[in-house]
Parts: sequence; structure tokens; C-alpha cells
Amino acid sequence: MLKNYLKITWRNLLRHKAFSFINIIGLAIGMSSAALILFWVQNEMSYDQFHTKKDRLYQVYNRSVFDGKLWCWGTTPKVMSKTLKQDYSQIEEVTHTTNGNFLFTVGEKHLNADGNFTDSGFLTMFSFPLISGNPNTALNNINDIVITQKLSKKLFGNDHAMGKVIKIDSNAYFTVTGVMKDLPNNTQFKFEYLMPWSYLKKIGGDDGNWSNNSCQTWALLKPNVTEAVANKSIINITRTHSNVKDIDVFLHPASKWRLYSNFDQKGKVSAGRIAVVKTFSMIAILILLIACINFMNLSTARSEKRAREVGIRKVAGALRGSLIFQFLGESILIALIAGVLALLIIQLSMSGFNLLTDKQLYVPYGNPFFWLIALGFIITTGAVSGSYPALYLSSFKPVSVLKGTFKAANALITPRKLLVVVQFTFAVVLIICTIIIRQQLKYAQERDSGYKKDNLVYVMMTGDMDKHYRLIKSELVSSGAANAVSKTSAPITQGWSDSWDFLWAGKDVSKKIDFNIFNTDGELAKTMGLKIIEGRDIDIKNYPTDSTAVLLNEAAVKIMGFKSPIGQVIKRGEAPNFTSLHVVGIVRDFILQSPFEPIKAMIIQGPKSWFNVIHFRLNDANSTTESLNRAEKIFKKYNPGYPFEYNFIDQDYAKKFGDEQRTQTLASLFAGLTIIISCLGLFGLAAYMAQNRIKEIGVRKVLGASVAGVTTLLSKDFLKLVMISFVIASPIAWIAMDKWLQGYNYRISISIWVFVMAALLTIVISLITVSFQAVKAALANPVKSLRSE
Amino acid sequence: MIKITDLEKFYRTEEVETIALNKLSIEVKRGEFVAIMGPSGCGKSTLLNILGMLDDPDGGSYVFNGVEVAHFNERKRADLRKHNIGFVFQSFNLIDELTVFENVELPLIYTGVPSSERVKRVEEVLDKMQIMHSRNHYPQHLSGGQQQRVAIARAVVNKPKLILADEPTGNLDSSNGNDVMELLTDLNEHGTTIIMVTHSEHDARYSHRIIRLLDGQTVMENIMI
Repeated sequence: MLKNYLKITWRNLLRHKAFSFINIIGLAIGMSSAALILFWVQNEMSYDQFHTKKDRLYQVYNRSVFDGKLWCWGTTPKVMSKTLKQDYSQIEEVTHTTNGNFLFTVGEKHLNADGNFTDSGFLTMFSFPLISGNPNTALNNINDIVITQKLSKKLFGNDHAMGKVIKIDSNAYFTVTGVMKDLPNNTQFKFEYLMPWSYLKKIGGDDGNWSNNSCQTWALLKPNVTEAVANKSIINITRTHSNVKDIDVFLHPASKWRLYSNFDQKGKVSAGRIAVVKTFSMIAILILLIACINFMNLSTARSEKRAREVGIRKVAGALRGSLIFQFLGESILIALIAGVLALLIIQLSMSGFNLLTDKQLYVPYGNPFFWLIALGFIITTGAVSGSYPALYLSSFKPVSVLKGTFKAANALITPRKLLVVVQFTFAVVLIICTIIIRQQLKYAQERDSGYKKDNLVYVMMTGDMDKHYRLIKSELVSSGAANAVSKTSAPITQGWSDSWDFLWAGKDVSKKIDFNIFNTDGELAKTMGLKIIEGRDIDIKNYPTDSTAVLLNEAAVKIMGFKSPIGQVIKRGEAPNFTSLHVVGIVRDFILQSPFEPIKAMIIQGPKSWFNVIHFRLNDANSTTESLNRAEKIFKKYNPGYPFEYNFIDQDYAKKFGDEQRTQTLASLFAGLTIIISCLGLFGLAAYMAQNRIKEIGVRKVLGASVAGVTTLLSKDFLKLVMISFVIASPIAWIAMDKWLQGYNYRISISIWVFVMAALLTIVISLITVSFQAVKAALANPVKSLRSE
Repeated sequence: MIKITDLEKFYRTEEVETIALNKLSIEVKRGEFVAIMGPSGCGKSTLLNILGMLDDPDGGSYVFNGVEVAHFNERKRADLRKHNIGFVFQSFNLIDELTVFENVELPLIYTGVPSSERVKRVEEVLDKMQIMHSRNHYPQHLSGGQQQRVAIARAVVNKPKLILADEPTGNLDSSNGNDVMELLTDLNEHGTTIIMVTHSEHDARYSHRIIRLLDGQTVMENIMI
């Protein structure tokens, strides 16, 4: 019996090639799209879930109220780790991490690498296995270093790295005491090496300041200690050990690090990335469903061809159950073929998808579990696609089908109409979303950043740059490489520091007000192209007191309530160790962080602060290459042994839109795929409808109907459905996008034109699809079609 | 073998109710060859469908081999049908995607005959119908006459006690038509009961008895000599 079914399925596939092609391609596109998204979802859901002690692992978080709003954040004072370990018995182990970036030298090889300072607890708490080295002792000595396989390969090629020496910057030598397996693609940690905390301490990077939140602290609870018990015990740790009295400390469990990182106003975990994961999962299911709907529609539309077979089988003694089994088997077989094709599509598109989603996903061919899931996925798809056709086809009465009175007069019966409406509703929702996301992105991209992004370059300060800064600066200008140079605390595209530690005349001391902190040695406005709207730039050369001068942005002036800000004194730090800062100028607001958020109050401190970056504006009298060549010579001269690595601000700025750009590309992709799959189905349905109405078309033509008239007649029914889809889709898309836009403070308002545009686009696309068949049918010779009856 | 008493069948649409069979009573004995004739719409095909258990009556009794089957459910009817009744249609109703051999084999699959036995029986019947040479052809490559031979082969492969033929020569020329009638007569002579609906007086003459229907009722019975 099974053999008989397989035979008939195979022959049906071969005989009706166009139908088979549409069905298999549609299903394959649907399955591969859904599978790619599900790979992504699986990756997101598995983030940091591979640590064997994950059920006891927590990140230490702070919680406090700023400007009347509750904030939770995951950076802590460096002293937190030691205190937790010493004073809190519920905690088995604690470690902390903070970033480091050094120049690594082995022989003639120089490279910059990112890594973490931490201690040996890290290697025993987390499951990052060492290929060689002892995790308990690998970071015990001040000059020990653990490197990943990847970094080992970069530095030592295929040689064993264990015991070898690496020069760090120009002044330290580290011995490799561990080689770690490369980090998996589902961890939030990003490092190529681990260095001992004791080295950070040696170079002055450690402190006991409870107000300086500058590292991440990780805790491993003892078995049987619950999160609630531990939280109760540590909540007051900051109050107990410092003068900071308004910060609660709590633990954030490993199971929630990736997907639940937002907190509500009660301090409870509310959501985060899980919203994106849920949306993507829904899209995956819907795309697959749309492909299944195609299958259902096409299978039932050509039911007339299968009806006789059903009748004969019933007469020969088949029960409905066995026919359902047969048709389900058929659809599963087709799904299997589509599944193989889908795997090919996935393989071909994985690298593009990875690029798009900024991931390193791969198909785990060697994992039997993957094949089991894949098979389940295919069978489910086949069963869902085949369910309605199987029930529909098996219900035919042999009496009518065998007598030849059975006629599927129209390809558009009600359930099929419903399915087409479902498909197009989803397609229209995605089209509208794509247009709105594009508009929002463009809106933010076109927002005035407040400074001139072109020709502006920055380099991170390494080696002897700080020592020779004055010479570098003067030679950059005198050589004609740059027009202006400014040393700053961070790139102007990134805010690296914030503080609420300020006092000024008229401040309400009960309120905590947080400011972005940016530092400059002077010439900030000239270098960045900022506008000073009152007062002047910081200028230590002409104003010796400017070492403690500050600039404020407009938002800071407003929040501090200054009527005449120039000359105002701002005190930083705790009494009696105040630093008095005096305001010398006001800069027009500029975007330091998110271009989607309102500009935050900012204090720009003068030369008596810390610096990490040199910005310089390239001399536009030269070509960019020429200016950079000149700059490189100068940097190499004063900072030998370090590569000259520079960044363009305009490229950096563009990265701010990375997430939105990705969302937009993905939405366009999903919308495009949905449209393609839906139109494949529509094309097939139109073909069957034209075939079924061939006699009607013949009669109409004999009676004088024009080609245009017949085309309209055939296209009308489909267009009606597309219009209904549009009516249903519009409010859904509006609600979804309104919610999405709420996430941005700087946002567009949804315009009616978006809907008009989406409607026109959908109508045009579906009209092209349907009218191809309609015109073909209308052009056919009526004599032939009437005779064929 | 078959006894129907006061059999009724109505077709209802929203506006009208058509009586297809109006308290019809007929008896057919084992080994008989009966032709049913009458104008279009007189209820011939409806009667044949009910006799073949493809359709239920709305009233009356239908006794098949001494068992009342009028109210059998689908499963019981299918079971009775596949073991006892073969069908021959005017439009052959072969499955295009199956070869001649596979079309004839179909009823044996549904009655659960083992594969080796199926091959034997199909070959036997193909041989008898003189279409052995076409066993691997698809129906659309055969002439109408050959297709009807395949259909008859399929109807008899399960050795049914009863063959129901619905205008079996309707789509054939007279020469092929005569061949088909000869085949049916031969089957009847070997003990199979045949009930045939036909418009053709010529074909009807092959039968033992002609039942003439009008408006769902018997109007006349002719015994053929």
C-alpha cells in the first residue's frame, strides 16, 4: 500500500511539474527562512547556558533612583568582589572582570588585542575550558596570562604557546600559563586573553572607591542558597561599607543575563531582548505557515484532478482514514524534498545571514540531535501543509466524482480565500513595518549631530603618546596633516563616563542628577566643529586657570538652572575634598550617545583630568591619504613599536545605527520573502482558476468580451482579497509600529502615506502576478477552449 | 441476492425536492444479468449507486445476501463492497498516474491480498482480458476499448459476486462496445451477477431481464428469451 502511495506521489510530482515546482520552492523558501531564524533564536536562548554552574551563577547589580526614576546597572565598584568574598557566607566564589587593551609583541609580530583582567575564580566559576594549563593556578602570578586558541594562533602560529613569553605594551613581559578553547558563539563574554587582577593593581587600575562603578562582579552561590536569601543578605553592602547610602545591591541570575536585562520601576526584571526573540520566533512561524498555506491552496485548487482517484480508491474499498494517510504521506514526502532543498539554501545563505545578524551561526551537521529536530520540523511542516488538503480531498463522494458531475468551478472557494487573506495580511504588515522602520532610521540619521563628522579622525592613546602629546600635536599641525588637534577622554561618538558627583549654587541636594563626562585639553570646538554659543573654548595657553575650566552643554545649563552660566563654580567630589571647576563656555548640544535619545546634560572638563583618545581634523588642503601618511610618520616617530591605528568619526557614527539598520534589512528581507512565497501561491491559484473557468472565458469571448474585460474579470476576485488583507493588516501594523517607536524618544509620527504606499505596492505586485495568468487565459482561442469541454 | 423494498431517495436543494427513487422494489437473483433502462433522470444511476453502497437510501430496505445493509455505516459498507462488488463505469475511471497493472491491482491492495498473490491474480485477469501486453502502459496511451477492458479487469480481479456496470459502452464505438458486452456476458456465464444501467437497447439484449424505470419507479419488466 505504502509503495503504491509513494509511486503515485512521485508520478504526480513529475507529471505536474509547474505545480510541484511552486510547491517545493515555496515550501523550501519558507522552511529555510524559518530555520535560519530559528537558528538565531536558538543561539539567543542558549547564551551563557553552557556553564555547568549556571544555576548558581549571578552578576552583581546596583539599583538606585536618579531624577525620580529607578535605574539598575551591572557595573560595580572594584572593591565589591573582595568584600563579598570576605563577608558573605552564602557566596562560594566571586570574581570580577574589566576590559584591557594592550599591544602584544612576539618577535616581530605586533598586534592589539582585547581582553579582561580577572582572577583565577573566573576559570573555575565559568565553563571556559583550558586546553592546556591549570585553571586553579593559571592566573596566580602577576605576569601570568591565559590566551585563547585564536590569539595563540595569531601570535605563535602552530607552535605550542604554553610557557612562551609575550611582551605587553613596551614595558611588561607575560608568560602564557593557559590556552583556552575559543569562546563559543553564544556567550556575552568577549576576550582574547585573561590577565591577573594583580597586574591591574600594579599599573594603578584598581581602587577601593565605592562610588566608582567600573567593573563587572560575578558571584557563585553555595549550593542550596536561593537568590532571594542571598539578595536579602547583600542588599546593604554599599551602605555598610561606604558613605553611599542610596544604592541597593542585588543578584541577576545567569538564566536572565541575555534575554531579560530590563528592569521595571519596582526593580523587577521585566523584559529585554526576549521581545526581539519572541517577534522573530513569531515571524519564523508565520513565514512557514504562509508556505504551508500555499501548499494547501494549490493542493485543494487542483482537487478536480485528484477527485477521480479518490472516487476510484473509495469504490475499491479505501476508507477515508487511509486516504487521509495517503495525502498526508504525500505532503510529508514533498516537505522532505523541500527540506533537502531548504538545507541547501540555508548552507548557501548562512554567511550572508551571519553578516546581517552579526552572529557566527553554523549548521551542526555532526550533531544527531540536529537531524532529529530537522526531521521533526520537516514532518510537522508536511503534516500541517497536508492537513487541510487531506481532509478536503478525502471527503469527496465517489458518486459525484465518478459520474463526472464533480466540478471545482472556481479556484477561489471560501477556505482558500481565507488562506490568501491570511498570507497577504502578513505580507502587508511586514511591508508597512519595513517602510516605517526605514523612515525612522532616516529620520535619526538626518538628525543634526552637532559637530562635523567628515575629515575627523581619532586614535587611541597607547605607549608614549601621552608623554609626547605636545610634540605630536604641534607637528600634526605644522606638517599640514591636521588643522586642529584635541586630546579627549573618549571618542566623540561614545560616552565613557558619567557622574552625579557635582554641586552648584541652587542645586536641590535631595536629587541625584547624572551628567555625561567628557574631557578635553582644549581646541575642542575647533577640532570637532562644535559651536560655542556663549563664552569660549578651554584654552590653557592663554588662560592658565583653565586646567579646572569646564564647558557645559545647553542641556546641562538648563538642568542646573543657570541664568548666566559663565563664571559659575561647580564643585566635584565629597567635602572637604572638593575640586572647584569654573564654567568658561557653553557648547551647543551635540550627540554623544544614542541619536534616538534626547541629549543628556554634559560637563566637559579641562586639562586637569584623564585622557584616552587623540582627535584630529584632517587638513582638507591635502588628500585624506596624504594627511594620514603625514600623521602616521609623526605617530611612528613619537610612539615607535606601535602600529598607527586610526578611526574615522563618520564611520563610527554610522555604527550607532547598526541595530536599526539590521532590523530594517531583516524586515525588508522577511517582507520580500513573504511576498515572494505568497505570490508563488497566488500565481498557482490564478493558473488553476483560469483553467477551471476556461469554458466561461470562451463563451464570454464568443459573445464579444474583450481581452481587457476578461483579464479584469479574472483579476478582480484576487484584488478584492488583497484589499481585505490590507484593511486587516493596517491596524495591526499601526499598533505594532507605534509600540516599536515608543522605544525611541526621538521618533517619527506614523503618516497615512505609509499605508497608501503599502497598499499600492501590494496591489501592483499581486496584479502583476495574477494578470499574467489572466491575460494568458483571455488571449486563448475560444474555439479551442470550447471544444475541449 | 439483492432485494430492495420500497426504496426511497430524495435530492434536496434550497428550493426544490426531487424524488429520485419512489418506493422502488426490485429483486435480483444470484447469477442473473439485469439491465436497467429509462430516460435521463429516471433514477437509474441513483439506484446503481445505492446497490453499490456508494450512496444511502432515504427510506426502505436493501437486503444484500440476506443482510439488511440500508443503514450500514461507511466502514461496513466499504468492507462489504470491496469483497463483493465490482464496478464498471462509462468513463472508465482509471487512475492516470498508475499503469494498467497497478490500476488492476488496486482493489487487491485494499482487500489486503499479499504481494505475490496480487501479481498472480492481476496477470491472470489481464491475460483473460487480453491486455497482458499493455500491462506497463499508462491509461492515456490506450484506446477507449482497451481502457474499458482494464476497468473490467479491475472490477473482476477480486472475484466479486456482483458487477455493477453504469453504461459500460457509452464511450465506445460499436465494435469495442460489443467486445465489452461479450466480456460481461462471459463473466455472467461463469456465475457473476451483473446489473447494468444502459441507454442502449442493443446492449440490453445481452441481459436476462430489463427493468424499465420512470420517475423513480418500475414501469415495466421484460424477460429476455
